[in-house]
Amino acid sequence: MSSRIPLVPENTVPLPSLKANNGLLSWVSSVDHKQIGIMYLIVTFIYFLLGGVEALLMRVQLAHPGNDFLTPELYNQLFTMHGTTMIFFVVMPFLIGVGVYLLPLMIGARDMAFPRLNALSFWLFFFGGILLYYSFFTQSGAPDVGWFAYAPLSEKPFSLNKGPTYWALGLLASGIGSVASGLNNVVTILTMRTPGMTMRRIPLFVWMMLVTSLLLVFVIPIITAAFAMMLLDSMLGATFFTPAHGGSAILWQHFFWGFGHPEVYILILPAFGIISEVIPVFSRKPIYGYEFVAASTVAIGLLSLGVWAHHMFAVGLGNVTNAFFSLASMLIAIPTGVKVLNWVATMWGGRINFATPMLFGTAFIIEFVVGGLTGVAIASVPIDWVVTDSYFIVAHFHYAIFGGSVFAIFAGVYYWFPKFTGRMLSETLGKWHFWLTVIGFNMTFFIQHFLGVMGMPRRTYTYYDMPYWGPMNLISTIGAMILGLSVLVFVWNILVSLRNGRPAGDNPWNAWTLEWATTSPPPVENFELVPPVRGRRPLWDLAHPDMPDEPGAKIV
Amino acid sequence: MENLGGLFNPSSPEMEAMADLTYYTIAISAVILGIIVIAVAYIIIRYRKKPDEDGEPYQDFGSIKIELVWTAIPIAIVAVLFLLTCSTMKAVDPPAGDREPDIVIIGHQWWWEIRYPASGVMTANEVHIPVGEKLLARLESIDVIHDFWVPELGRKIDLVPGHPNYMWLVAGEPGVYIGACAEFCGDQHANMRIRVVAEPEADFEKWTDEQLVVPSTPTAGIAGEGAKLFQTMACMNCHTIRGTAAAARVGPDLTHLADRATIGAGVLTNTPENLAKWLANPQRYKQGSLMPNMKLSDSEVKSIVAYLEALNEQ
Amino acid sequence: MANNKMLVGFFIASESIFFLMLILAYVNFHGSVTDGPTAVNSLNPVVTGIFSLFLFASSFTIWLAGKSLREKNHFMLKVWILATIILGAVFIFGQGLEWSGLIDKNITISRNVFGTTFFTLTGFHGFHVCVGLIMLSLLLALALAGDFKGPKSDAVECISLYWHFVDGVWVVVFSVIYLWAFL
Repeated sequence: MSSRIPLVPENTVPLPSLKANNGLLSWVSSVDHKQIGIMYLIVTFIYFLLGGVEALLMRVQLAHPGNDFLTPELYNQLFTMHGTTMIFFVVMPFLIGVGVYLLPLMIGARDMAFPRLNALSFWLFFFGGILLYYSFFTQSGAPDVGWFAYAPLSEKPFSLNKGPTYWALGLLASGIGSVASGLNNVVTILTMRTPGMTMRRIPLFVWMMLVTSLLLVFVIPIITAAFAMMLLDSMLGATFFTPAHGGSAILWQHFFWGFGHPEVYILILPAFGIISEVIPVFSRKPIYGYEFVAASTVAIGLLSLGVWAHHMFAVGLGNVTNAFFSLASMLIAIPTGVKVLNWVATMWGGRINFATPMLFGTAFIIEFVVGGLTGVAIASVPIDWVVTDSYFIVAHFHYAIFGGSVFAIFAGVYYWFPKFTGRMLSETLGKWHFWLTVIGFNMTFFIQHFLGVMGMPRRTYTYYDMPYWGPMNLISTIGAMILGLSVLVFVWNILVSLRNGRPAGDNPWNAWTLEWATTSPPPVENFELVPPVRGRRPLWDLAHPDMPDEPGAKIV
Repeated sequence: MENLGGLFNPSSPEMEAMADLTYYTIAISAVILGIIVIAVAYIIIRYRKKPDEDGEPYQDFGSIKIELVWTAIPIAIVAVLFLLTCSTMKAVDPPAGDREPDIVIIGHQWWWEIRYPASGVMTANEVHIPVGEKLLARLESIDVIHDFWVPELGRKIDLVPGHPNYMWLVAGEPGVYIGACAEFCGDQHANMRIRVVAEPEADFEKWTDEQLVVPSTPTAGIAGEGAKLFQTMACMNCHTIRGTAAAARVGPDLTHLADRATIGAGVLTNTPENLAKWLANPQRYKQGSLMPNMKLSDSEVKSIVAYLEALNEQ
Repeated sequence: MANNKMLVGFFIASESIFFLMLILAYVNFHGSVTDGPTAVNSLNPVVTGIFSLFLFASSFTIWLAGKSLREKNHFMLKVWILATIILGAVFIFGQGLEWSGLIDKNITISRNVFGTTFFTLTGFHGFHVCVGLIMLSLLLALALAGDFKGPKSDAVECISLYWHFVDGVWVVVFSVIYLWAFL
């Protein structure tokens, strides 16, 4: 071909300054996985703040019964946007973004298999979110039918505004980006590992991202189809989900949860991956039972496809159906429990450094186990009949997603921030952040278990003055304020450390996976030289040639 | 200490069965959580890196035996939990077979239509039942999905348009049981309360008879004025009052409204003063409700309140 | 070297799930219409079957195109790609005829659940065929400009895979909508 004239100058520095010539353009047009990863992290953090403000507003409204701080219409928009934002525009893209940054490094590659597809995924996510949030500025406002948009409430004639349409379109765009990410990850992991890195030697974070990516590939199309049907209903008068015209409200639920349940595993598996990297490094031991952790991930991925109707135990599907999904949902607890035990066993006998990543990693175990155990409880149909659609469920999933995924995300940020930026985050501020988070989080959500069993339904803009409900809600609101404060501390830590953080060096934590075998931040080509891989911990093997992980491993 | 309600006050054999299962499961969960917490606490104390410690600890890669043991134990726990699940399900929700429902509950945005097929009683938001009897309810919806939930009495179940559901309803003790809609159904989902009044058989019969009385329309005084207004204003377009031409089902049947404990599915206690406030501007108390502000004058409100109260004095 | 074929393979798996959902919706509502248009009283499987043969034939011609590529027969590569496009276009033309016939009889996407599921399923399939036709046209244009001398080309092989997929989906859709109704 003739000589290339690039539209944008080739990038030569890891983190080009925005102030430099073409600085912004080099970021916006980047197809480098590290830059794209960082963009994901920054944008998801902004959505985290937005979703958090939505939550705080709701908690203020619920601080005492009969409050009129928010109108019912606005409250319903807020809880819809809070759920949609946190799931689709915070946790999921954060984990995808951190994966996009780390995957090539962890497998010793130069970039993802399809760098331009990678960029497309990011921009679809970016504009999908803007489309969704634009709805706040329209006359009819943001969607107000819940993040699950049950039919027929979400359709005409019960929803005459455009909110649900913005919701479906924004998520459709973003979802296509997620499928593309899933595809990119799968091909990258399967075909671009450095020689010597067999599938049995990839870091557990990579295992988790592989299963997560396969889930993305197979379940996002389910919700894409559901959105298409919903949009056809609302725009062309189709009758998929309108019972008045022969459609089926329950069909929507099957489609939504057919996607929605695997989605929550998409939210947690990469978090498990982060924990599986952090805990061994800070315990100074290899992960206990690598094969079992990897295999249990595959088991969870497969089982997650068969449990969706446990969200529908109160719909009236029949008790044979209920029993099947009940059993499947309980079974999924087993591989999950195996993982938890493996993490605890990794810590056992270690020499543990309780730096901030490990503080969050350890707290993750406790918080997630609470969420997991309440999950097993509600897998039991009669218990679900008591507590579904109550604050018990709100407590359950916040323990699993916040206490689980978000705590793991914090652990990951403190762990990998030095690698991404070349600077350490402040340990002092980190500890403040940690303790405020633990206190705020538990104060907000633990008491909600009790509110649920006492009879408080969810998705309600107000509640009746039943005995103790007011004070209990007030405690929850105060906890939420403390959580808000903790996020401010976190932001402060990041800003201060970007400017003045201690220089990190290549491997500040003395970790063992390949991303630590290069500079912080890595050069544009990732590695000057990829170390030889003869085991699961290449840098351990290099540092301990007398005690390699796999004695007798052949040199490739 | 006031009654905590819900799970802590089960008032039917079904609810007790579910509460028992919940407590067993919470107990098992607490033990498991306790083990993890104690293990982690021990680890934090014992395996924290001490300042004088150097080098790396023993690199333990795992043990297949231990993995098998701690996979087998959860399998056993799950098996027990599943068996308890199935037996409780059967006890709480036995099949209805061909039995005709005793109560039909129809969900509306944002009120409950209650019918008794056998006696012909039609009312709203309040369900009266005889204590101790196991009744079969059929639940339907005229618009969106709702959910019938009375926490002290039993399970909850969705009211799905196009898909009628069945549920057993029984109260072990006399009393008033408060419930709520438990499936987000729009703006006023939060104000769609349920009252179940469980009373001795004799009282229930008496209530049924009272509900079946078709009151004669008052003609004199402000109650008579109210009766006329009711027919001429748009009230008839949405409400039923038996014994008159008003027979619409968009809104609740008002024939024996004065007998009910609340207005607007729980939004206001039912007193003449509150009824006047509601009529003056229902949107103030239940914003988004399908009852528009009819912009009635004070005297119009007084008359209609008098009419509705008069209906019940017969 | 990025594995383009693996990407397209997984992409096809993903799209298969998408179509599966549309098919499940169709199957769910099949038989629920008691009066009004249904598959049995509205569709003509013979005519649609004939147009389907054109689509199936196009799978054969794209396979022949691949064979020509491997044999470095540049001329026949262009011929077979063109043939594939023509055959695919005839199929779309047939779909268009069928759709306009139904709409003339007031059988539309909003008429009832049959109309809804029928038009959605055949519509998304037709859309995928059209996207395929666009990609094949791009291939043809590049081939005419001298590209794809062979024996290998990821672009030709990947787009062929996609085309076979679109064909395979039609086998299922035709069976579910036309054969199932009439058997």
